[in-house]
Amino acid sequence: MEAFHLLLYGFSVLMTWKILALMMVGLTLGIFVGVLPGLGGPNGVAILLPLTFTMDPTSAIVMLSCIYWGALFGGAITSILFNIPGEAWSVATTFDGYPMAQQGRAAEALTAAFTSSFIGSLVAVLLITFLAPSIASFALKFGPPEFFAVYLLTFCSFVGLGREEKHKTLISMALGLLVAGIGMDTVSGQLRMTFGSTELLRGVNFLVAVIGLFGISEILLTMEERLALRGHAAKISLRVVLKVWREMPRYWATLLRSSFIGCWLGITPGGAIAASFMGYNIAKRMSKDPDSFGKGRIEGVFAPETAAHASGTSALLPMLALGIPGSGTAAILLGGLMVWGLNPGPLLFVEHKEFVWGLIASMYLGNVVGLVLVLTTVPIFASVLRVPFAAIAPMIVVSCAIGAFAIQNAMFDIWLMMLFGVLGYVFKKIGIPMAPLTLALVLGSRAEDSFRLSMIGSAGDMRVFWSNGLVGSITTLALVLLFWPLIARALAAMRKR
Amino acid sequence: MRNPIAVLAAASLSLLAAPSYAWEPTKPVEIVVAAGAGGASDQMARMMQAAIQKNNLMKQPIVVSLKGGASGAEGLMYMKTSPGDANKVLIAYSLIYMLPLSAKIPFNWRELTPISVMALDEFVLWDNTTLPYKTTKEFIDAAKKADPMFKMGGTGSKREDHVLTVFIEKKTGAKFAYLPYKSGGEAATQLVGNHTASNVNNPSENLEVWRAGQVRALCVFSKERMQYKTKVTETMSWNDIPTCKEQGLDVSYQMLRAMFLPGGVKPEEAAFYTDLFKKVTQTAEYKDYMEKQALKPVFLTGKDMLKFLEEDDALNKSLMTEAGFVAQ
Amino acid sequence: MTDPGVEIVAGDPDEPPDDSPAVAQQRNVEMVTLAVTLAFALLMMYDNWRTGISWEPTGPAAGYFPFWVALILGGACLFGIVKEIVKRDSGRDAFVTRSQFKRVLQMFVPTLLYVPVTQWLGLYVASFILIAGFMIVVGKIKAWKSLLTAFIFSAAMFGTFEIAFDVIMPKGPLEHLFGY
Repeated sequence: MEAFHLLLYGFSVLMTWKILALMMVGLTLGIFVGVLPGLGGPNGVAILLPLTFTMDPTSAIVMLSCIYWGALFGGAITSILFNIPGEAWSVATTFDGYPMAQQGRAAEALTAAFTSSFIGSLVAVLLITFLAPSIASFALKFGPPEFFAVYLLTFCSFVGLGREEKHKTLISMALGLLVAGIGMDTVSGQLRMTFGSTELLRGVNFLVAVIGLFGISEILLTMEERLALRGHAAKISLRVVLKVWREMPRYWATLLRSSFIGCWLGITPGGAIAASFMGYNIAKRMSKDPDSFGKGRIEGVFAPETAAHASGTSALLPMLALGIPGSGTAAILLGGLMVWGLNPGPLLFVEHKEFVWGLIASMYLGNVVGLVLVLTTVPIFASVLRVPFAAIAPMIVVSCAIGAFAIQNAMFDIWLMMLFGVLGYVFKKIGIPMAPLTLALVLGSRAEDSFRLSMIGSAGDMRVFWSNGLVGSITTLALVLLFWPLIARALAAMRKR
Repeated sequence: MRNPIAVLAAASLSLLAAPSYAWEPTKPVEIVVAAGAGGASDQMARMMQAAIQKNNLMKQPIVVSLKGGASGAEGLMYMKTSPGDANKVLIAYSLIYMLPLSAKIPFNWRELTPISVMALDEFVLWDNTTLPYKTTKEFIDAAKKADPMFKMGGTGSKREDHVLTVFIEKKTGAKFAYLPYKSGGEAATQLVGNHTASNVNNPSENLEVWRAGQVRALCVFSKERMQYKTKVTETMSWNDIPTCKEQGLDVSYQMLRAMFLPGGVKPEEAAFYTDLFKKVTQTAEYKDYMEKQALKPVFLTGKDMLKFLEEDDALNKSLMTEAGFVAQ
Repeated sequence: MTDPGVEIVAGDPDEPPDDSPAVAQQRNVEMVTLAVTLAFALLMMYDNWRTGISWEPTGPAAGYFPFWVALILGGACLFGIVKEIVKRDSGRDAFVTRSQFKRVLQMFVPTLLYVPVTQWLGLYVASFILIAGFMIVVGKIKAWKSLLTAFIFSAAMFGTFEIAFDVIMPKGPLEHLFGY
């Protein structure tokens, strides 16, 4: 019942005109950003982050998380109407969403996408609501070895489970780790890899890199392709909405399964991308009629959207409680937290109740308002794509530059952003994955610090990573995941015999 | 987003009330914090922001900008590279002496324009309440015998917390494993979680967890007790914390909290800020903050401040040298 | 595609043709990129070796981790290069065709110039020039439309950041004229 009281308290924090107005602004901006090609969840949030720098933390997080929900909704619009996934995790939505639009069922597909996103995040928010009161005391169990084990788990799961060529994953991750190490080393207080430059002293900011890697490089990639768009217009009528909603209960198993997958992958750093594909594939495998998937089956929209949103939402929990971001966007919100003067961690739940519960309450409210908003305004947002790309592209460049500059008030960061833009363009074209790079940029120096703090604490004894049940099991799991390809092969060989 | 009507009202009020200066900021003023989010400097900057805005001490808005990268070196270099820009104020602490020594950062506080010393911050030796050591002596005795060593948490490496730890070791012969965290908040969390046995945080950094009964204040590294007698926890006020010297641990250290403008600003610009911060010290917000966070209110400007800085610099330099933290 | 439902169509004045000759081969670009990354790794190894890469009683020194990470990075690059050399199949896929490359440069060069112009004239004026110029030259959109769009966008950004949210951006002579 404690959770319920705290939640009510959260709602009371939200009920001011100012915050409600910010929610609407955030949602609208978010949908807009989600619809635009070349922008999307993480970099959209990163570019709009400076808007919140001078706000109080609660207003700031409410607005920013609403931008995020908006971007998720917006991504579905382009996937279904134009077959252009706004972000990686809406790729799975195009599989059945676009065929549905081709058959003239665009409104149905959109309604299905929005509603299932809503359900996915609702399940995740419920989970957060009931876990949050106890997560703070659990998080206190985390000392340096535990933190290191979690970081190790994240890195290992990328190397072991990634589908890209292993050496390319490794290049991406190692580069990220190196760049993250530039600047001052916290543990020894020494400078390293700065080559005497005062600009490099403060290190390479993660947000600047993300804006370059995703914003600028995406613009370059989009330029390269043909810019002509052909899409389906859709007007959602109440009749269609009700029809889809009446059909929904039939797919309760799919929805529940996808929500569960999403929550799990969001809390353990797996990310929304993996969640959406996994949700889709499992729904297909469990279906009685798997061949109808990909030809415009409504279930094929429900499954990935529910999972993606559940995962995107639940990724906020480890971010708040431990300072470990479960997704790219969570990592950017983490950067925001620091700017607003808050330290993530278990004490956040004690010292800044209004912030934590305001955020949780805003997830409920933001999703309801977002659902209504997006259902009523789809035609307006879809027509954003009518604006020629030649006008949109330089505006996105400007927004990226503003975002990159505002983070540290540094001109140098705009140059860095350009550098990362080119890097992202080339890397994407030669098949080096971006995700490990961004992950390493966020977690790199934390992982190193926690390893070295563990070593100082244990006087150089490696056994500290198996010194209690919690840290031991995480470390072991990490190693299993790292060598998973080998283990899987060995298991297969044994089975054959 | 501020309420435009309130802003208008505030602006017109200050037009009526504020005396005319030879110079006034024409752009939003940045308070540069050379430390991480939620740390003592950040909290103090936000208090001053509130004090200035609520009491209409300045027409232009004031924003806090966190430049804690590279253990605060980012903030220092930011000030150094903006000579003549009177819209940036640094909230400085002992970092300005220590960082150039330990990390060979090309920075010297004499290149900036000192405005005023705002307060002196204390350091307290804290341990976790679940440990059985109720006094400094019990704690130190246990630390001497402990195997593995007790872990001491602190902010940053080769900085004030680290220096204090080294001096505790020198005076007592006990050895600690010093764990440098990124912020005082993190050091506090780790102490509560029992991952370290103790830390030497500033009062403000451990205030919340002390009040919640999760950490115990053993002694304050000061020549005399803190003056505040209002109860903070159920049983104790800041004044009830004994000095370390009383407890047989003769180490004392206090840290300045001072305001600096970049170098090369005009005298009338410096005068505006001297006056502004003087007014800040008279606000209820400032007085309240000093008491709540147990800071020692001290206000120095001009020659007094320079004299203080020179002496403080010399003291810090000798401590750093003795601790072996000066980079070759 | 004759699709009854298609209602939103955004044209593209100069679509890249499919038969444009390649400027660079996928394989060559990959090898050059890996070689550059390898050089970066070697540089970082050297710098960290200077910082100190030993394992001290209290754990690794400041340069230890970055040194080994750089070594891994270098190794992975080397592996990639060798793999590309050994690979028999032609690898004749185009990395980028001439017309594509032209379009990428059309975007990239103005963006690159935009940065020094920002330093000189301030962000808002530079943005105005970038947007208007790009729309007119690359998008072949009518001049008055382009100028108006660019002006409205830059002014809106100025209003949002400088006035409503107190986020300070680099400004130049024009803004100083108005007292900002």
